[in-house]
Amino acid sequence: MSTSVVPPLPKQGFGNWLKKHFFSTWLNSVFTVIFGAVLIWMCIKLSNWAILDAIWSVDNKEHCGHGAGACWAVIQDRGRLIMFGLYPYEEQWRSTLACLIVILTIGLSCLPSFWSIKKLPALWVIGFGTFVLLMRGGFAGLPLVTSEQWGGLSLTIFIFSAVFVLGMPLAVVFALARRSSLPVIAKGTGLFIDLVRSLPLLTILFAAAVVVPLLVPDWLEGNKLGRVVVAFAVFFAVYQAEIIRAGLQSTSQGQEEAAAALGMPYWSLVVDILLPQAFRNTLPSTINQAVITFKETSIVTIIGFFEVMASGNAAIGGGEWTEQFVEVYVFLALVYFVFVFGLSRYGAWLENRMRVGHA
Amino acid sequence: MLNKLMKLATAASLAFAGATSAQAQDEGVLGEIKARDSLLCTGHNGSYLGFAEVDAQGEWQGFDIEMCRALATAILGSPDKAQIIPISWAQRFPAIQSGDIDVIIKVTGWTMTRDTELGLQYSRPYFIGPFYVMSRSDLGAESISDLEGGVFCVNAGTTVERVLADYMETNGIEYQPLAFEKGEELRAALYAGRCDAIAGFGPFLSSTRVNAPNPDDFTIIGDVIKLEPEGIVVRQGEDDFLDVINWMVTALLLAEENGITSENVDEMKANPPSATVERLLGVTPGVGTRLGLQDDWAYNVIKTVGNYGQIYDRTVGDDSRYKLPRGLNNLWNNGGLLYPLVLD
Repeated sequence: MSTSVVPPLPKQGFGNWLKKHFFSTWLNSVFTVIFGAVLIWMCIKLSNWAILDAIWSVDNKEHCGHGAGACWAVIQDRGRLIMFGLYPYEEQWRSTLACLIVILTIGLSCLPSFWSIKKLPALWVIGFGTFVLLMRGGFAGLPLVTSEQWGGLSLTIFIFSAVFVLGMPLAVVFALARRSSLPVIAKGTGLFIDLVRSLPLLTILFAAAVVVPLLVPDWLEGNKLGRVVVAFAVFFAVYQAEIIRAGLQSTSQGQEEAAAALGMPYWSLVVDILLPQAFRNTLPSTINQAVITFKETSIVTIIGFFEVMASGNAAIGGGEWTEQFVEVYVFLALVYFVFVFGLSRYGAWLENRMRVGHA
Repeated sequence: MLNKLMKLATAASLAFAGATSAQAQDEGVLGEIKARDSLLCTGHNGSYLGFAEVDAQGEWQGFDIEMCRALATAILGSPDKAQIIPISWAQRFPAIQSGDIDVIIKVTGWTMTRDTELGLQYSRPYFIGPFYVMSRSDLGAESISDLEGGVFCVNAGTTVERVLADYMETNGIEYQPLAFEKGEELRAALYAGRCDAIAGFGPFLSSTRVNAPNPDDFTIIGDVIKLEPEGIVVRQGEDDFLDVINWMVTALLLAEENGITSENVDEMKANPPSATVERLLGVTPGVGTRLGLQDDWAYNVIKTVGNYGQIYDRTVGDDSRYKLPRGLNNLWNNGGLLYPLVLD
């Protein structure tokens, strides 16, 4: 005689879910009630401040600062300054377009179908070329806008993506060089990486912007924005190189030996076997580094570039909107959030995708 | 390359010895400006109240910006030839040594260290930077001594706190200091009526006043508790350029002293009331050629930018939102410290 015991089915329904996760013991219930109340109270406060009591239009400016609500009129009045910095007012459509092109380029290069040694550089050359041509102008009836006047969000995105695109190949070179079997190259690169890492980013950028013109001949001086981007890229590369090196070390020695036994050339070994694994293994740290770099672009304000943070400060520094600094900073935080959150989600998607077939 | 090395060498040698010789002979920055057809001036990395701000259109405006435009007009004939380079406070001295900018017009106080050790040269002060006290209007105070025993709100650990303490001690006025960590807290306390008065740099006080729920509740008292003479800065050895700057400032002051404004300058030029005005506006030649400029440079400056008083009123004075009193920045015959040099 055999009786089969059926395991009890988990109870279904919202009520049970709620009970299981929030009210399972009396202590949990107490916490749920307390934190729920605090959360609701904060939501009400926040929505009152940000939406219900807020002042949206410049016409109502005189009510700003005296009530409890946010004064979004400052964004209406100074929004274009925050987004475009010192870029000439009539030409700001160019900045918008250039910004969209770079975002599109970033978006496209995130798609795995573009990941080839030919497509990716071509995409970036076209994307960046169009950006610089559009921003700079000086042809076909577009007035010339020098890079001193570039600003706002498009400058932030330009600096970030240029640093990333220049820094990434450089990082690969550094990582490989540090693992080189030739001691001079390996030690030399190691020393360079440690040296750059021991300097603060601010010092490096300040030196690139201010000290380099004193030291190098005119023809090598280039433009200030270019120098800053290159210096920033080197800084990014030394950190990223260590991340990639960690990835390279995580591949087993046997694979290199097997490749050598098959007579694969060095570059094929690196491009086809080592780097794909290294990048996959270090994806979380790479995204981490990208996020940090995006946020660090605001440091360029100290050498006189009007990226989005500096433009925000310019908007509230003029006396007219001095009291609305909270609103402007909240707006800036949202702008940063959109990009950083996007980056993180992309990283998560990429990880998921790479896990397929590697269970 | 040679030029670069020269610059570096002078920057280095000046930093140590304060030598002046070599550099002035070659080209000079005045020649570079004319060849480039633009004047590179300091802006700010953000907005600095009343002196260098960016408006909603992303255009620069403010007192220092106007001075730069006046200088560009004097040398190159048009205010549009001034190119404003955004530059932070820390960056201004290295930037002028590296040639990123031609001139610093950025509320830069004339101090001995800067003048002697940084390889810089100052023009005569074009602005007297005042520290004032602002009090509640209902107290009816007309001078700081009327505020005896009052509560003075200050930012903790700032220059202003020291400056105020020095002034009060020197003048034997008792007061109760109330320190705040942040500017916002200080303002909130002031608006809430917790302070009888606050002290600070003129434009800061003005903007605090303008942003008050009711600006008339607060009055800036005329007593200056400290002043800082602000000069225009060039590299050491740029004597010709410095001459132009000094005479540009004088032209603005002379114009105000003689009642020449951007509106009536044409009439004045047609019927000059005095020999000085005649010389200033280039009716009798000499005002330009001796500086290596056009003879009508001063006329152009006054026509396009206005006289000193007009610039002041428009940017920080009565016609601006700051309403900063003229005070020490008045001409000598109106109780101020400013005076033109002699145009002979």
